Amino acid sequence: MRGGLRRRTLLRAAVAGTATAVAGCSGGERAVQVAVVWSGTELERFREVVAGYPASVQVVSAGNDIDAFLRARHLAGTSPDVAILPRPGLVTEYAERGWLSPLTPAAGYAVPGDLGDLLTVDGQRVGVWVKAAHKSLFWHLPSVLPQPPTSWDELVALTRRLGARARRGLGPAPLAIGAADGWVLTDWFENVLADVAPDGYDALAGPDADWQGAPVRDALDRLAEIWSVDGAFPGGARRALLTQYEESVIQVVRARRAAMVFEGDFVDDVVHRFQRDSAGPSTFRFPGTQPGGGPLIVGGDVAVAFAGADAGVELVRWLTDAVAFRPWLRAGGYLSPNITVPLDGYADPVRRRLAAEMRTADTPRFDLSDRLPGPFTGSDGVGIWRMMQDFFADVTSGVPAAEAVRRATGQLAAAARSAGGGR
Amino acid sequence: MTRAPVLGELAVLDDVGPPRRGRAYPAAGATSALLLPAALLLGGLVLWPVLRTVHASVTTDGRWVGAAHFRAALDAPDTAAVVGRTVLWALLVPAVVTGLGYLLAAASRRSQEGGLVRLILVVPIALPLVVTGVTFRLMYDPDPTRGLATLLAARLTGRSAEDAPQLLGPGLVTVALMSAFVWAWVGLAVLVFRAALDRVPPSLADAVRAYGGRRRHVLWDAQWRPLLLRTFAVVFALVAVGTSRTFDLILVMAPGSVRDEAAVLALRVWQTSGGTTTGEGAALGVVWLVAVAAGMLVAALFVRQAWPPPRPAEPEPEEAQPTSAPPPRLFRLIAAGAAVAWLIPLGVLVATSLHSPVDAAAEDWWSAPLSLDSYRDVLGGSELWRALTFTLVLATVVTAAVLVVALLAAYPLAWLTGPAAQATGLLLMAASIVPVQVIAGPVNEVLGVVLSSGTARGLVLVHLALGVPFAVLVLRNAFADLPAEQVRGARLGGRHWWGTLRRLARHNRPAIVAVSVLEFVQVWNDLVVGLLFSGPDAVPLGLFLAGQTRGFVANSGALATGSVIASVLPVLLVVLARRHLVAGLVAGGVR
Repeated sequence: MRGGLRRRTLLRAAVAGTATAVAGCSGGERAVQVAVVWSGTELERFREVVAGYPASVQVVSAGNDIDAFLRARHLAGTSPDVAILPRPGLVTEYAERGWLSPLTPAAGYAVPGDLGDLLTVDGQRVGVWVKAAHKSLFWHLPSVLPQPPTSWDELVALTRRLGARARRGLGPAPLAIGAADGWVLTDWFENVLADVAPDGYDALAGPDADWQGAPVRDALDRLAEIWSVDGAFPGGARRALLTQYEESVIQVVRARRAAMVFEGDFVDDVVHRFQRDSAGPSTFRFPGTQPGGGPLIVGGDVAVAFAGADAGVELVRWLTDAVAFRPWLRAGGYLSPNITVPLDGYADPVRRRLAAEMRTADTPRFDLSDRLPGPFTGSDGVGIWRMMQDFFADVTSGVPAAEAVRRATGQLAAAARSAGGGR
Repeated sequence: MTRAPVLGELAVLDDVGPPRRGRAYPAAGATSALLLPAALLLGGLVLWPVLRTVHASVTTDGRWVGAAHFRAALDAPDTAAVVGRTVLWALLVPAVVTGLGYLLAAASRRSQEGGLVRLILVVPIALPLVVTGVTFRLMYDPDPTRGLATLLAARLTGRSAEDAPQLLGPGLVTVALMSAFVWAWVGLAVLVFRAALDRVPPSLADAVRAYGGRRRHVLWDAQWRPLLLRTFAVVFALVAVGTSRTFDLILVMAPGSVRDEAAVLALRVWQTSGGTTTGEGAALGVVWLVAVAAGMLVAALFVRQAWPPPRPAEPEPEEAQPTSAPPPRLFRLIAAGAAVAWLIPLGVLVATSLHSPVDAAAEDWWSAPLSLDSYRDVLGGSELWRALTFTLVLATVVTAAVLVVALLAAYPLAWLTGPAAQATGLLLMAASIVPVQVIAGPVNEVLGVVLSSGTARGLVLVHLALGVPFAVLVLRNAFADLPAEQVRGARLGGRHWWGTLRRLARHNRPAIVAVSVLEFVQVWNDLVVGLLFSGPDAVPLGLFLAGQTRGFVANSGALATGSVIASVLPVLLVVLARRHLVAGLVAGGVR
């Protein structure tokens, strides 16, 4: 049966053809897989960190959409062993679905305040903090702004004064703000909220959050007070809404069109690239009602190990060791959540000071928007990011503060309800 | 007029006679074997995911919920605006592209500079949409010291920089996106119209003139009615289908605060469901699928026989015709003006890439000193190289695989005639325009079954499934359109059907070139497949560039440089193969 043979050969050839076309690169000894949110410099630094791990580790950058990435990998049954997640909301979500392994950190690992509790589900620790971000920071050039404000009222007065000068073209605008990135605005909101209503802060992340209550309204009132100052932003508020956070830093350190910018410690990468001379900017804490005692908002990245990944659990435990992140500490740009890491391990002085602040602050609070459920947590054009941008647009375009606050709280409450939290 | 031949109708084939028949027709068993790879790919990665999405849109965790998801999705506060914007895109943009394309094709005909004009217009077609987005975002930068368009708008309206219209602002962002899209697509319309105008027999115009017809009569009776009406429909349909690609542009061009004002269905489906398929996202996706399918059916009915059969194998000697005068001076000026306008964005992109990263971010590109620092930085790092190599391998593998799978499947399909041929044509067409955002979740499940989710293998499979239908369509039509003598020759010469297939394929070189170039460029330029399905160490070029737009201004030097480097290869390919491309597109896309 030559014909039959031929046909079978052909069939085999066709199948083989697709198979070879499809064959990618795989095989070999399986390394521990880690999916991370980082990219660029941060990714390279993390690779240097895991190079110190005794077994081989494959680091995968999943980018900012790591949630979608992990969900797809889970559906496909190809979850990595370890993931570094950008927000604790995801950790609880995954843990409730039973995706995660319980973890035990290395001896001596300790984080400030009650941060560790955010990663505990049903009494079991399912995630550990591996990187912290200090989010209560203003950057300014001492040559442009020699005397930073020490209280909220001073900040507002300074903004008014500089704003009036900027309107007449006599100097830089007071504030640069990257309002195109919604998280910049939620960070503003969280700092103000932690200052005016320290007791109401954590409740907003819970299931009974009251987004129309006094704490939220007071905080929004405060934001309206400073954002609505005429001439507060370089190029005006419409322009600010199209400014990404990196550009807002450039406006201060390079173009010098603004006197100060509120941004976390992680922007120092941009600062170094764009500062004009070796005399870089200084920082000051987000000013609170009382001089000297501002809020401290902390953000951070969490390591989790997926269910059944023993090698992953092992790696996560190693990551919590005080020495694990030493390469990154030495290279700079890394703030450890572990308060037992010795301060003199920090190469850059700014980070050393911030690490000390994190140790001494009375109540460091974790970034609220990162703890909100479902889509409420925000991304470009979605959730609380979008609502804060609407609020910003309202108060800067002449809508009375009371009306803008009413609209915003209405939106926030509705979003919280539909995301399964809030009253 | 004589009846245009129905697709696949080649009565002459039978003259070879019964004894030879069994060898030239693939036998039933072989036919199924030939169709198997294509059927597996399309069944697994298109048909099943579509069904799964439909299923997800009416159930929650497997429970039947009827139209609840649809109600929820359609009741969401801004769904109406999003749907309206999607429809606006699908109607307005094709109309503008078609009109402009015809105008420029007519204006650039038979003049010495016409070839150059068309060449300039063709370049944007080849650019990845990510690069187009980067280019226009540079032009429209809200800072008048950086954005050329903003500076001009401020000057023209006589307002201060602060009050000047903001092209990326909430009011105008859709206009800005549309302008970028039109810029990218007009070249295609020009190419198709030019081919169509060249097909209009000049004798027809002479006849109209002989009967005392004026210019408009010539236009109407000798161009519009016999040919252009259908060509318009073809171009319109092509561009309307193409507008689902705006997704890439929106991701790159719209800053976070105006995403909502720019959102179309593609974006909303992706936002509501991420990489998975859930109730509301699925419902929106189904609405979108139905709309696309309906639009395609209407277009297909309208343009079924739009193109004249490619009988005249010898090119019409257009230069040699004494009667055809070059277009009037005004028209030629319009064409030249368009060429200059089309060059400006490219100039902005290249100029930005020629500054150091710091200058590109902080100074205006027209006065800051030139430097190659951005190139040095980008080429010195490993990330771009990794993305380039990966994309090159990916595109080559996918193109080769698509070609093999599609050639095998096209051969037996070309022998179908009548309704069966038309039905396959419609099915293939439908498969080639399924928006991948809608079926992302189920596709990932399927990839999980074959253990390739989030891997290079997975990307290859998805690209294959998305590329095969169109390739089969083009190649099938090319096979079916071969002149009878060539078919007869191949069948007499080839002892077995695969010998025949090889000989026939040799006659079909233009179609094969068109399919290869299109597929390669498509994979090279892709963003959305990479965004939805990439994983460890599988970061294609488009995703790499789009990732950097998060800090657009700070990265603009590196972005512009990366964009220029990423564009070289597709532009070269498309410019070199543009004749074949039009032939392939028109033959395949239309019938």
